[in-house]
Amino acid sequence: MATVQLSEAEKVYVLHGIRDDLRVDGRSCEDYRHMEIETDVVSNTDGSAKVTLGHTAVLVGVKAELGKPRPAAPEEGYLEFFVDCSANATPEFEGRGGEELGMELTNTLYRVFNNKRSVDLGSLCISPGEHCWLLYVDVLLLQCDGNLYDAISIAIKAALFNTKIPKVLISEGEEGGTEIELSDDPYDCVRLSVDNVPCIVTLCKVGHRHVVDATLQEKACTVASLIMAVTPAGTCTCTRKVGRGSLDPESIFEMTEAGKRVGKALHGPLMSLLLQEETLGKKRQKVGFLG
Amino acid sequence: MLKSKTFVKKTRSGGVMKIVREHYLRDDIWCGSEVCTECKQESTVLQRDACIESDLCCFPHYLIPDTNVVLHQIDVLEDPLIRNVVILQTVLQEVRHRSAPIYKRLKDILHEQEKHFYTFTNEHHRETFIEREPGESANDRNDRAIRVAVKWYSHHLEKGGSDGPKAVLITNDQGNKEKAEESDLLVYKCEEYIKSLIANPELVDRLALANDEKNDISSSKVLFPEHFPLSRIQVGIKSGTFLQGTFRASRDNYLEATVFVQGEGEDSTEVLLQGLQNLNRAIHQDVVAVQLLPREQWLAPSSVVLHDEREAKDEDATEEEEKEKAMKNIADDAARKPTGRVVGIIKRNWRPFCGMLNSSLIKESTRHLFTPADRRVPRIRIETRQASALASQRIMVAIDGWPRHSRYPNGHFVRSLGAAGDKETETEVLLLEHDVPHQDFSQAVLSFLPKMPWSITPEDMAVRQDLRALTVCSVDPPGCTDIDDALHCRTLENGNLEVGVHIADVSHFIRPGNALDLEASNRGTTVYLCGKRIDMVPELLSSNLCSLRSNVERLAFSCIWEMNNKADIVKTRFTKSVINSKASLTYAEAQLRIDDTTMNDDITNSLRGLNKLAKILKRQRIEKGALTLSSLEVRFHIDSETHDPIDLQTKELMETNSMVEEFMLLANISVAQKIYDEFSECALLRKHPAPPPSNYDILTKAAKSKGLAIHTDSAKALADSLDVAKVDGFPYFNTLLRILATRCMMQAVYFCSGMDSDFHHYGLASPIYTHFTSPIRRYSDIIVHRLLAVAIGADSTYPDLTDKHKQSALCNNLNYRHKMSQYAQRASVAFHTQLFFKSRGILNEEGFILFVRKNAIIVLIPKFGLEGTVFFDSKDKTGPKLVFDEEGPTLMVEQHTFKIFDKVKVTISLDDSNVQHQKIRMSLVDPVIPGVSVPVTEVEPPAKKPKLDC
Repeated sequence: MATVQLSEAEKVYVLHGIRDDLRVDGRSCEDYRHMEIETDVVSNTDGSAKVTLGHTAVLVGVKAELGKPRPAAPEEGYLEFFVDCSANATPEFEGRGGEELGMELTNTLYRVFNNKRSVDLGSLCISPGEHCWLLYVDVLLLQCDGNLYDAISIAIKAALFNTKIPKVLISEGEEGGTEIELSDDPYDCVRLSVDNVPCIVTLCKVGHRHVVDATLQEKACTVASLIMAVTPAGTCTCTRKVGRGSLDPESIFEMTEAGKRVGKALHGPLMSLLLQEETLGKKRQKVGFLG
Repeated sequence: MLKSKTFVKKTRSGGVMKIVREHYLRDDIWCGSEVCTECKQESTVLQRDACIESDLCCFPHYLIPDTNVVLHQIDVLEDPLIRNVVILQTVLQEVRHRSAPIYKRLKDILHEQEKHFYTFTNEHHRETFIEREPGESANDRNDRAIRVAVKWYSHHLEKGGSDGPKAVLITNDQGNKEKAEESDLLVYKCEEYIKSLIANPELVDRLALANDEKNDISSSKVLFPEHFPLSRIQVGIKSGTFLQGTFRASRDNYLEATVFVQGEGEDSTEVLLQGLQNLNRAIHQDVVAVQLLPREQWLAPSSVVLHDEREAKDEDATEEEEKEKAMKNIADDAARKPTGRVVGIIKRNWRPFCGMLNSSLIKESTRHLFTPADRRVPRIRIETRQASALASQRIMVAIDGWPRHSRYPNGHFVRSLGAAGDKETETEVLLLEHDVPHQDFSQAVLSFLPKMPWSITPEDMAVRQDLRALTVCSVDPPGCTDIDDALHCRTLENGNLEVGVHIADVSHFIRPGNALDLEASNRGTTVYLCGKRIDMVPELLSSNLCSLRSNVERLAFSCIWEMNNKADIVKTRFTKSVINSKASLTYAEAQLRIDDTTMNDDITNSLRGLNKLAKILKRQRIEKGALTLSSLEVRFHIDSETHDPIDLQTKELMETNSMVEEFMLLANISVAQKIYDEFSECALLRKHPAPPPSNYDILTKAAKSKGLAIHTDSAKALADSLDVAKVDGFPYFNTLLRILATRCMMQAVYFCSGMDSDFHHYGLASPIYTHFTSPIRRYSDIIVHRLLAVAIGADSTYPDLTDKHKQSALCNNLNYRHKMSQYAQRASVAFHTQLFFKSRGILNEEGFILFVRKNAIIVLIPKFGLEGTVFFDSKDKTGPKLVFDEEGPTLMVEQHTFKIFDKVKVTISLDDSNVQHQKIRMSLVDPVIPGVSVPVTEVEPPAKKPKLDC
């Protein structure tokens, strides 16, 4: 993971600032940095989104493919995640440098998203036990400036919102299975409900306090952090502690409460933004990667 | 400006793929009009005074047809009168999608400069490109794109002044027309427009009949059951309730057809269809879906000959039913075949049909029936006002559709081929009917010919063996200009003989993938008709650069063997070479040289050596079980001025014929082995499957009638028993038997070695065989040349050569072309035979009975190689008493019993009562059977100067 080297004096400066609820870039402890979201940026995916958070930039593409439901859940489709830590993001990822981080991120994403309480997996099923949609969610890190989890989760939520799955008709063959037919109208597609899709909020314990959306400098001062997935209703669906240091139960409780509060506040503006973008329709001038 | 086009597609493996294509819009696409001052175009296509006398548009105008107009009315668009037409890219693409032949025709028109057809790439024009809207079907979008483009044109042309040309949309779609009118476009229906052309009423004939159900009130009675929609058919085929197959109408009975259902592997069946209702408007060669009837309704194929010769009336269905009943002869269960009915058409395989018009009895009527030359195609109803002019001509007609309430399909006149009976016209007809590509070679094809004067370059010499010093000569039939093989033979120092077969190196001139190559591969073979040759490659190659003429240096592909005196091959090698043939001989000339003991030059010695070896080779081959079969080939003596046949003789076979043949066979076998060793997956080979034992029934029965036994267990047994089958005092018997044996054989076919496991050539008794020796006239040989050249490292390979699926598809085309060329050849001989008998009047000849049928005998006249049928029943009067015995087979007519091989005497005359199907008629003279045979007519002496005004 991209790290910065801080001197003792710098650390003390950051620490003292946070103690007084005034961070290096002027934010308070529960503030996010400036965030930009654009959807439908990659035309050959079924749904895509690009999110920049401070200088962190991630791109998420969703591709729908026909598959067979897993035997354990015959009436559900499923998601597949892959995180590509490109060397564009930081030179450390060159070669196989990003692999470990990629695995870690991927595993977390499976835990957070690949269950029917988070994503409406039932709607991905076409015919139980035979055909379902499986969504390949590919995450590409473009730039690392701290707080990858939050940025990725927001991008995934936006991309899933943007995903348009072609409508298929199932015709029953007289004997031996079903036949899938595609509609020839490209506008004829189904959308995925993202009502319950959580976002990840990472809380970093710095000194006695904790901050959200830590920059790389703040990260360097952290002993331990808590990753939690929070639904729009404010329920926490998943928590995970990372980092070498330990957290006492009281501060875990405090951090969870703060995470729920922040997460709930994050979903509202996110959804309204996505809906607003949607109303602009096809005529919208795309920003893309050069804007 | 960049746009992207997105669509989803189902992949073959069942997945779903989203495909995004970039689509660039430009602002430098010009309108192509002469009047336009805005567009910076260098050359214009559309004329300033685009006037055509019309009631509707009295101003200059450009036509813009929509897709359906192009698809259905291409015959009208092809008319030289129709000029200044804008073909939109949208239309062009849709046409290409829907029908490849029409697309090709449209492209041809676009290339023709006098037609002034302009392609406007509206899909890439900044102002005329539109995107599909939600809820809009693909067709609606295209219609809108067309309207937008027409709108653009009319605005654009207005800028050049109000008296300039206007854009006129031609559409037959009512909805499209209304929408166009709403946006103030000039729009007409195709019919409306064509009818408004004052000066040219004949164009109306070429209009395809629209499927306008409500227009046709004349007969509302529904005659045929409905066809199922494609989706239902597909489901039915999947589940096995329907069968898919090719519809093959019967030649002899218009109420009967079979559907050939291709099964898995060898497992294919034929379904019998009987009666108009069950045939349900299918036309020969259509791909149809059939449903099998319950087993108790299965029928046996009828052996009745029925021709649809009624006048055009739809009402008398009762008569039809009676005929159908008459057909359903009570058959025993064994003869019953799976019987079914057509439930839907999967793919129509309509092409323009040649034939003649039967003018309607009512003089003013514009509706006429057209009788195609091919008996398997039903008659077609067309509308024309030129019936009287067309009555004696061969014409082409295209089918437009076959509504449920019509007894006949509807069609329209395409073009006239010329007067019936005319030699050129008839040749054209038989080429068209046999699907022989015979147009002149296009400029694109000719551009790949070598530049003249052509000579062998030093580079060529460097990679080739110089065999110019050898005494090579060619032996061919007289008048042959495409000499593709030459031979040499010389004695080596060790006493062995060196024999070389030199084949024209056509693959040197025809490089893979260019237009010349594609044309040749499509044509597949040169077609030899009487007095006419349809070349596979342009004449410069076939008769000059590739032809191994004497005393010129030519490139060759040589196969050289070292043989001992017992004709055993010691060594084989293949090489590209340069040769200089010393003599081009005919079979007769070569034979004379061999026989003339006074001649002792190199050429003659070489021929003698070859002849000696050939005899040994032939003996060896026959010992292995190769068949010597017989078929009579005739040769016409053609009048050099009128090109009419003046005499007819059967081809003679000389020793030298078999000498050349023997070495060609040897070369083919050697090459086949070599390319198969090198390319086991993609060698192009030729096989001749052994016929199923039942094929020989007729042969064994025939031999049994003379007390002889024919063994058919193997080729060897067959060859041996044919050799000993002789009857004293009947020298011709053996030949007759061999002719019969030929009829039992299967067709030899090309195949790709990777797609088949049975390589055996039954007739030649060779385990492997291919065609190498005639690359000028057969495309298969060119491929074999390329394979061999790669095998010996003389040439480079290319992807298609080693792709077994492509190879296999090519084989299918070659087999088809080969079969068709044979049919065309036969038809040409038949036509010339008719011409001959027309000039000779009535002749009395002796012949032999070849087959005995239920109501007729088929007689072969050896003198002319002619086969004819003597019928014993006739339509008008009650026929003689006939007793047919299938066992013999014998036919008892009154008191006389006819057996196979009986000698009879017949009169031959030309029956030209039906201009379209002229035929040779034979009647019995001897034996005399009262009421059956005809009195001996005095043979008319042949007119001194045969006057032929046909």
